[in-house]
Amino acid sequence: MCSDLDRTPRTLLVCDRSSFLDEKNRVSPQVEKLHFNHKVSVLLPGCSVTPSNLDLVMNTFSSFYLIKKLPVHELLDPGLQGAINQGVVYGLSFGTRIDEDTCVALMPKGRLVLSLDKDSYELLGVEGKPSRFNHRTCSRFVVSVDLTDSSMAPGGRGHTRLLTGLRSHLQLQTDFLLSHHPEGGASLQPLLSRYDWSKHEPEVSCRHLTDLTCPDFRSCDCHSLLEWIGAVEADISCESSSSSFLSSFTCPEPNDVLSHALSVSICGLLLPHDVQRLIQELRCHLQQTQLESWASLTVHGFIDSPVSWGDNEHGVLSGGENFYNLLMFPDHTYHLHLATGAYDTCPP
Amino acid sequence: MTSVREKIGSSGFHRTVLKNGSPYCYMKVCLLDQETRLNAVELKSLIITGLKDLHGEVGAALPFDVLKFDEGSLTAVLRVCSGGLVKLWSSLTLQGYYQSQACAFRVLQVSRFNL
Amino acid sequence: MVPHILSFARYLLCEVNVSDMNDLFLLNDQAVAAAVKAAVARIHGDYGAALCSIRFQVKYLNAHTGIVFLRFPKSCYKLLWSALPFITHINSRGQKIPCFLNCLHVGGTIRTCQKFLIRYNTQQLHRMLPKCKNEGEKQQIRQAILGCFIPGGNKEACEDDIECEEDEGE
Repeated sequence: MCSDLDRTPRTLLVCDRSSFLDEKNRVSPQVEKLHFNHKVSVLLPGCSVTPSNLDLVMNTFSSFYLIKKLPVHELLDPGLQGAINQGVVYGLSFGTRIDEDTCVALMPKGRLVLSLDKDSYELLGVEGKPSRFNHRTCSRFVVSVDLTDSSMAPGGRGHTRLLTGLRSHLQLQTDFLLSHHPEGGASLQPLLSRYDWSKHEPEVSCRHLTDLTCPDFRSCDCHSLLEWIGAVEADISCESSSSSFLSSFTCPEPNDVLSHALSVSICGLLLPHDVQRLIQELRCHLQQTQLESWASLTVHGFIDSPVSWGDNEHGVLSGGENFYNLLMFPDHTYHLHLATGAYDTCPP
Repeated sequence: MTSVREKIGSSGFHRTVLKNGSPYCYMKVCLLDQETRLNAVELKSLIITGLKDLHGEVGAALPFDVLKFDEGSLTAVLRVCSGGLVKLWSSLTLQGYYQSQACAFRVLQVSRFNL
Repeated sequence: MVPHILSFARYLLCEVNVSDMNDLFLLNDQAVAAAVKAAVARIHGDYGAALCSIRFQVKYLNAHTGIVFLRFPKSCYKLLWSALPFITHINSRGQKIPCFLNCLHVGGTIRTCQKFLIRYNTQQLHRMLPKCKNEGEKQQIRQAILGCFIPGGNKEACEDDIECEEDEGE
């Protein structure tokens, strides 16, 4: 009873420290593994305007489509199969909550993941696994289908079964976010033409910060570092003294004051390869600027996505964070922090 | 807090896995009340009153911070040490009145990370 | 073999310390229970008061020595226990008796508490012995020490730590 009062959900934070020049560094596979990115924020010290090359990358993030009331069986349409098989299409149900509703994710390797409650799972009639996020009774199931599999080819057995399940038994409809690599655009057009859709560009917003108190990254422990980066992003003042009534939050010691800094955030359904480009550009930028500089990049995954890292299942319960933070230095070293929520499996 | 440290090779690749390492929890809460206008100090004292009602003097002594408060949308970001999360959360849930006027807190997000 | 039943209660053996020994005769079960409940409600709020309303009971009160047995649910006895030092007075029969509670022992059954109490009292008597002023008092205390025995003690000696549910009606 009361012993539970002190318990809090488990969290995992993985910290990597390495260099881009190290052959063992795994930044790019790690970045690729978080498929559904919701928000990317960059913190750059010493700039008052976005450097032009960074600005270019940020404004050329792939746009994405929001399709209203898409019946999910349309994703099995033969016309779309080509694009899916190439592994260039990303899709995620929008406005659904992972713990309450049915969530759908279409991953770039042609895998379709449905997170269903018990009733719809039984209606669908396709084999799945009980979710990791069940409490005592099995009330949630995950169906994961590899669309590139031979039985999933149009007309194949698995394909027919899933199609009838989704079309006539379950009749699953959801708002859907869809994005694709630049080369995969054409095959989506027939699908889009049938439904109410809109095209969205990722939203870029920029804040110029002055007189920012900033800790020493090399000596600071990772939790207070992440706390500080979060505070800067959320525009929380570190000015208050530790004896203040409202908040005892202060910047970790030792710290110094930056006269200028730039905080840029990009929101939308963002593709990992765009994030890769941004990382490359940030590294180039760091090379050009003076020493003692750094750049921080934080990428948040969708909280309600049924998958987090790779194919690992994701759930919210009491905190659905999945994000990573990459802190880069001019000498090619980096600190990478990967975090997941309460019951997720460990990031790669 | 447990931490697992593994070091791969001598080439400078360090990997540390921290389990339950973060000392704080962060909550984003929203006060559902159309009429009252209150500032951050009043909000904090309202929360402390709630804590005192539910968890007594021990609860009222629970340290937590109001990191940010938006008076327009009545949304606040709170920071509390991990052990006090359940106490704070339960007292926010059971908070029913502000100056004898019905009000309620809605917890929008709870996270171990301030992001 | 005695069936090994897990006890779901914790019994706290406490001593009520008052400045005037005659005040002890004013105490009763309800007064002590009310004082404990009030302290818990003050320190731990509604949550503590709610915990205090299930399976909390003053099992035994000795008005001569000021010994009380409090029964708390095992799951939350630590929380309730932490409120006991904050009791500064007990209201009984319209009078406010200044006092404080001194916890002597925590046991899983009433029986272990009783055994501890007998041992404790014997110890106290031993301490009193050298302070006696005349032979008559010494004789009295010696008699009292000899009279101390744990009922059914020898066969229970090995079961001291087994926590089995005691008869509720004791």
